[in-house]
Amino acid sequence: MTMDDAFDERLKAAFADAQAPLERESESERFAHSVVERLSRPDRKRVLILGGAGSTGSAIAGSQLETIFGNMHVPADGILANAAFLMSPEVMAAGAMAIAIGLVAAVLPRRIAG
Amino acid sequence: MKAPDEELVALVVATKNAAAFGELVRRHQGLVRAMLQRMCRNHALADDLSQDAFIKAYEKIGSFTGKGSFKSWLCSIAYTEFLMAARKRRSTERAMEKFKSGLEDSEAPRDMGNVVDLDRALATLKEEERIAVVMCYSCGLSHSEAAEATGMPLGTVKSHVNRGKAKLQAFFQDSEVMAS
Repeated sequence: MTMDDAFDERLKAAFADAQAPLERESESERFAHSVVERLSRPDRKRVLILGGAGSTGSAIAGSQLETIFGNMHVPADGILANAAFLMSPEVMAAGAMAIAIGLVAAVLPRRIAG
Repeated sequence: MKAPDEELVALVVATKNAAAFGELVRRHQGLVRAMLQRMCRNHALADDLSQDAFIKAYEKIGSFTGKGSFKSWLCSIAYTEFLMAARKRRSTERAMEKFKSGLEDSEAPRDMGNVVDLDRALATLKEEERIAVVMCYSCGLSHSEAAEATGMPLGTVKSHVNRGKAKLQAFFQDSEVMAS
């Protein structure tokens, strides 16, 4: 064995000694448990960012709908007149917001799981 | 009989089985934590980075092709986490100064058996030398595995390891002379 080999062995042993306390069963169990727990816990920051972005987007989209549908002419008689209340800008804006929020709610869990 | 890493990885890829991944964490946590402790010399930060590295490994486990060992794949993820943490501070040099402040300077170096002495000896190396030495001696990676994990050319890793080892040898010889 050369001096270089002997030093190699000493160095490896020194690194192994430094690692030894981390290899204790209780220590490895504790660390593994904390990692697995983090895996099962969704990242709150990510949920808040995605949820916040989705809600803001749908709120902006909803507020614009009144100007788009505001000039619509609703028939005063006939079958469509019975459903005219559904075509008011407020109802349409609310509907669009509900759809947007629903989509965010559907996409969010998949994004988090992914 | 213990299932090999590759089987557990396949199980995690197929079913996202947290228990199987937990077993992989149990097997390799000592290696990853020790590597990061030696690299950044701050145990709390090293443990945080180790956790992040395992979470990242779980998220990216589908990209493990099985070409190399799971251990070296994991080390490369941990090394990336270390680099990202260092970059988050304004520069790697400043980060290393901060990490250095975590060391106690009151105790005189004795021999390699003392973890503080090992860390103090590693502190005398340049960052690249320390990384190459830690990868090869703490993680037990071959030079080519260390080159792949760090993205350094093979020849560079070899020369960093040789230079680092020579500096460590000189450090311990000096400290033994001082102690005797």
